[in-house]
Amino acid sequence: MVVNRFWQQLFGLGLLKQSVGGPSVYPYQPADLYKGIVVAAGYPGTKYVESTGDGLYRRSLYTFWKRTVPHPTLNVLDAPDREVCIVRRSTTNTPLQALTLLNDPIFVEAARKLAERVMTEGGKSPDARLTLAFRLATGHSPNERELNILRDALGKMLAAFQKDDAGARRLIQVGAAKSDSSIPAAELAAWTAVANIILNMDETITKG
Amino acid sequence: MECCNFSRVTSRRDLLARAGYGLGAAALHALLGGAKAHAEPTDARVTFPNFTPKAKRVIFLFQAGGPSHLDLLDYKPQMKDRFNQDIPASVFGTQRITGMVAQQDRFPVVPTMWGFRQYGESGQWLSELLPHTGRAADEICVLRGMYTEAINHDPAITFIQTGSQLPGRPSMGSWIDYGLGSENENLPAFVVLNSLPSNGQPDQGLLSRLWGAGFLPGRYQGVQFRGGGDPVLHLSNPPGITREMRRSQLDALGALNRELHDRAGDPEIETRIAQYEMAFRMQTSVPELANTSQEPDHIYELYGDDARKPGTFAANCLLARRLAERGVRFIQLYHRGWDHHGGLTDKLPVLARDTDRASAGLIVDLKQRGLLDDTLVIWGGEFGRTPYAQGAVKPDSYGRDHHGRVFSLWMAGGGVKRGYSHGQSDDYGFNVAEGGVHIHDLQATVLHLLGIDHTKLTYLFQGRQFRLVVGVLYSFKYATYSHLPKLKWPYARGSEDELEANNDVAAAGSSDDAGRSTEFPRCRLRTVC
Repeated sequence: MVVNRFWQQLFGLGLLKQSVGGPSVYPYQPADLYKGIVVAAGYPGTKYVESTGDGLYRRSLYTFWKRTVPHPTLNVLDAPDREVCIVRRSTTNTPLQALTLLNDPIFVEAARKLAERVMTEGGKSPDARLTLAFRLATGHSPNERELNILRDALGKMLAAFQKDDAGARRLIQVGAAKSDSSIPAAELAAWTAVANIILNMDETITKG
Repeated sequence: MECCNFSRVTSRRDLLARAGYGLGAAALHALLGGAKAHAEPTDARVTFPNFTPKAKRVIFLFQAGGPSHLDLLDYKPQMKDRFNQDIPASVFGTQRITGMVAQQDRFPVVPTMWGFRQYGESGQWLSELLPHTGRAADEICVLRGMYTEAINHDPAITFIQTGSQLPGRPSMGSWIDYGLGSENENLPAFVVLNSLPSNGQPDQGLLSRLWGAGFLPGRYQGVQFRGGGDPVLHLSNPPGITREMRRSQLDALGALNRELHDRAGDPEIETRIAQYEMAFRMQTSVPELANTSQEPDHIYELYGDDARKPGTFAANCLLARRLAERGVRFIQLYHRGWDHHGGLTDKLPVLARDTDRASAGLIVDLKQRGLLDDTLVIWGGEFGRTPYAQGAVKPDSYGRDHHGRVFSLWMAGGGVKRGYSHGQSDDYGFNVAEGGVHIHDLQATVLHLLGIDHTKLTYLFQGRQFRLVVGVLYSFKYATYSHLPKLKWPYARGSEDELEANNDVAAAGSSDDAGRSTEFPRCRLRTVC
């Protein structure tokens, strides 16, 4: 599951809670998802109360499974519905996956955390940081052309966010994990947007 | 990389898979790759439609909970004089009753408290609760001999949606998307819209697996459009990311993915690039679709005032028309709250009001746009309701239990006969008298109208070919013989010998009334395949 790979491989001990077992957790889920589908009140499990703290950052194995409305991120990424045995999970490639991987708060937050990490661990030069981010996601360094693409994208994002500080602040506030206040908002936002690109590369999603 | 240049053309897996169909087919597949790439039947030798379709798309106005056929669509004047009499044993037969009435010591007839009248030139008999549907009476075809095998909601809804009472099969919309693909590059081919009854009593939950893809690839699952917030989940960019910025992000992402594609040659990478671009287009096409503010007043007039309130059945009907206009293949609405065990007499008018005007308005609207000819509209639930009362019985206050042995629904457009009715129930609206239509017949009919041979739309899963319509011969047979007073039901089937005999009859037959071949494998009844 791509969600797990993101948390586990990219961020290691950062956000992901590494312990085994425990009760189900309730990661981010769009509001009102149960409305119009689940019978209101009276029955247990009719309300989705989002977890706090570590509960937001566990492997999806621990995500609460509601059969009437499974978690949409798992659903859209081909999680079997658990009604019949599945020998091999189908793999699909859909626009809804694109929307989820680009816009779902859990992935936007993951992008910000990746950005913070490469900005603290990746040295001073943008190239070194981009190389680290790319390597963390794919397991190898970018070639010259790939680095050029990323450098170019970073420049554009930085220019855009420097003109829109409020927008930058809104982006880096996505997710419950606090953002690193020592990094200027426009810079962190630009790096978050670039990390968002890296985490959406085909190579990251399917070959990681 | 130089050692394996062939992989730039097609992946090893693809090559092996397609080798069986010959390289010509592989080349053809590549040539047709564009708009049709969405549809990819397991067996590349079968293409859909199999014959000229009458309908290009379906709007299924599903009424969850089991609307009472006796109070809406099936006029039974014979019941008037039989108020509070017991249903004769000869009629009751082997009725399987639900736990909810199992404790009742008698099953008294309760006729409808509403009047019925004839509408339109066709003289279609409909309840006074459906005056607007009455205005469209000459467009609809009422099926009064529908029957199902299930007696409770979940198995019955699962049955009508997936062809099996057991969960795990793909929804009808998924099958059709899988077979026919999309006609609009900017919207999903299978869209789902839910609404709650205006009395706030939905009775049961729905399950998102009802529009799930089952064992088909996940791309075929229905996409739920929502009344509030993002119409599609995660449609909006994260806060702070503008559309221009997203464009630059996707340009960079596309360039990186193409870089990988040049290196690795996996065709799935091209698909991914295309899907990200479709996601980008959906960010404008979906809000444009969902924004009905430009619709003129006379259109709202057709659907009723509710159509101005997002999330209502009427608003969803209007959206359904807009989806149909844009070529969406299967549009599935669910309106809940039809499960009237008690207080039917109070609740039914509310539900009828919720749906009557908008359903009829949809037909009129589709027709004036020339869309009704190739759009199949279906209105109905998973089963009907009992002619006997559940609980206390008074002429103007009663409830009815679930009833699957006969019920009614209507269809319109898409090659269906106009101002027509098919099938009849008996004097009590209890059993099929003639023209029985099993759920599988309905599904086979829908596929037929779309130009699909229901036996050819299959998917290989767990080592065998699955299909939507499971035992259609079985139902044809019962449909054919359903004028017999006693229907044979799977659960009242008796001995294995009888089952064998039935199978032999089935296997021996060469064609049914409609001239369709009935030579099916004998395993049909036991290994639902």
